[in-house]
Amino acid sequence: MSNIRVGRPQVSPTAPSHVRGVRQGNAPGSMKKDPGIIPKKGGARATPKRSTGINPTHRKPILPSMPTLTPP
Amino acid sequence: MTEMSESVERGRRLVSMSWDPVTRIIGNLGIHTKIDFDNREVVECKSTSSLFRGYSVFMRGKDPRDSHFITSRICGICGDNHSTCSVYAQQMAYGIKPPPLAEWIYNLGEAAEYMFDHSIFQDNLVFVDFCEQMVKETNPRLLAKAERTPAPNANIHGHATVADIMRSFNPFTGQMYKEALQMSRLTREMFCLMEGRHVHPSTLYPGGTGTVASPQVFTDYLSRLVKFIDFAKKLVPLNDDLFDFFYDALPGYEKVGNRRILLGCWGSFQDPDACDYRYEHMDDWGREMFVTPGIVVDGELITTSLVDINLGIRILLGNSYYEDWQGEEMFVTKDPLGNPVDPKHPWNQTTIPRPQKRDLEKGPYSWVMSPRWYWQKTGEHLPLDTGGGPLARLWATALANRVDTPFVSATGKSVKIHLPKTASFGEMDLEWKVPRWANTLERDRARAYFIAYSAAMALYFIDRAMDHIHQGDVKVFEEFEVPDEGIGCGFHEAVRGVLSHHLVIRDKKIANYHPYPPTPWNASPRDIYGQPGPYEDAVQGLPIFEENGPDNFKGIDIMRTVRSFDPCLPCGVHMFLGNGRVLERHHSPMLGLGGGKDGGSR
Repeated sequence: MSNIRVGRPQVSPTAPSHVRGVRQGNAPGSMKKDPGIIPKKGGARATPKRSTGINPTHRKPILPSMPTLTPP
Repeated sequence: MTEMSESVERGRRLVSMSWDPVTRIIGNLGIHTKIDFDNREVVECKSTSSLFRGYSVFMRGKDPRDSHFITSRICGICGDNHSTCSVYAQQMAYGIKPPPLAEWIYNLGEAAEYMFDHSIFQDNLVFVDFCEQMVKETNPRLLAKAERTPAPNANIHGHATVADIMRSFNPFTGQMYKEALQMSRLTREMFCLMEGRHVHPSTLYPGGTGTVASPQVFTDYLSRLVKFIDFAKKLVPLNDDLFDFFYDALPGYEKVGNRRILLGCWGSFQDPDACDYRYEHMDDWGREMFVTPGIVVDGELITTSLVDINLGIRILLGNSYYEDWQGEEMFVTKDPLGNPVDPKHPWNQTTIPRPQKRDLEKGPYSWVMSPRWYWQKTGEHLPLDTGGGPLARLWATALANRVDTPFVSATGKSVKIHLPKTASFGEMDLEWKVPRWANTLERDRARAYFIAYSAAMALYFIDRAMDHIHQGDVKVFEEFEVPDEGIGCGFHEAVRGVLSHHLVIRDKKIANYHPYPPTPWNASPRDIYGQPGPYEDAVQGLPIFEENGPDNFKGIDIMRTVRSFDPCLPCGVHMFLGNGRVLERHHSPMLGLGGGKDGGSR
């Protein structure tokens, strides 16, 4: 490895790689904190809390699954 | 880029001709041949690559979660294959498996990639060698014959004669050429729907994807897929017509690019019901892949076990600009099943580059190493090739006789593809039969069939993904923690063939990482046992059918052969300003450094 010359690195590997208070993307427990996602066997299901701030049952949706779809 | 010099050797008059760099492929490939024009044969061939970047060197010490983003940049057309393979390796190392919906999204993305890449490479790059303008300059008598030969499938693809087919692929003016470019946009959009960005996916992570799995995403994909299937139905019979014509009109053309059948396929398209990314079960979930892994030697399938495939990989040197790593650290002495791992295995490899002057006659002449597969039964180090990718995939899948879905099924000697009714055509059944030779035309033919294969598999994947959506499933990501120590290996099929990523983690950082894309297998130089690599082997002994003499020789048969392997030497991006003046340097750390205009994130 000593026979190739590389330039001086501009960033040292010990530079901090995350900011305090920001959870890493893969950290366990993130899904629990996500509103509107409820784990179920083999996956997870969504509730209307994921896509809307209103209470959809008062608006009588035609299909019960419609309020759980993601907003476009 | 051809250069010639004459030499009289051993009673034969040999002309040295070089194509360096070869055009219409990706990267820096140099083909240096010695041609005997009197006997119209290529006597010797050496394949060289003049580019080194050193992924295995600089990835050490990095966070393993970055590796799929970094390795994606190995290639500018199949970067997503690298991302996917890296993600497979990471998932094995972290001990997780993604949710089923995420697995279907990976599969759909990879199917879109195969459809995109194969059709753009075949129609816009390979067929320039077979188009009317090129054939006019290299084989005018063949073109005259093509004008008189009707195309057997004219009622499907609409080209009355074979010469019409050749005209349709003329660069920039031909009708199929232009249509293929439009299809490439469509298939790229399909890929972007699934994985965020093509070529370097932004929503692909170990543990799953970041794609929001709404019904919209899948129906958008499906509407584009159905339009593409229309195109694929035209493409396959058209390819058949053209290649069958070459066999008829030029007897002996089967020897062009022919080499011993040594094909390797590492499998593609995981089945989420079977795959848990555990090395201990790798044999079982490997066999459930929708493109079965396998090694075919002399027409016989000798293994479909990914564990055997893994343990047999050996990286030999011989004519490469590296030093041997005997005496360096052995990272993995035994695999998780207790089998011993060889020092020449990628897990234990240390890349020590030794730049030097190229010596085509006696010494090292390439930056490509020589991966080989050690066959325990005979003790041979086999120089496997991928047949350009599709040939090995279809061959292994056909012989393994395991794939059985509503649209694609293997029969033991062929692969049957059923394409449903689309706008311009009714249902169509295609069958790719195992050919007699592994030569240039069969590699190109297999590429067309594999386009249809991927399209048909994508239909099945959409069905399975929509099942989950209809049940209300939304989970596409599995959380994980990076372990202190771990090893992982990912086996996948890049567009051009076998792809493996071997990863060793120590202290939560990458200790060793060796990706082996298909082109090191294909473009490898002679190893220490003197075995030539696949390009060299396929070109040596090739009969020349071109009608030009040495003065205006284009080497079309040699180039057709090399391009049939779909060479993709890792492409380099340089900013070169004469005398090597550096214009600008950018440094964008991946995992959020907190500084920078946009928060340091991409």
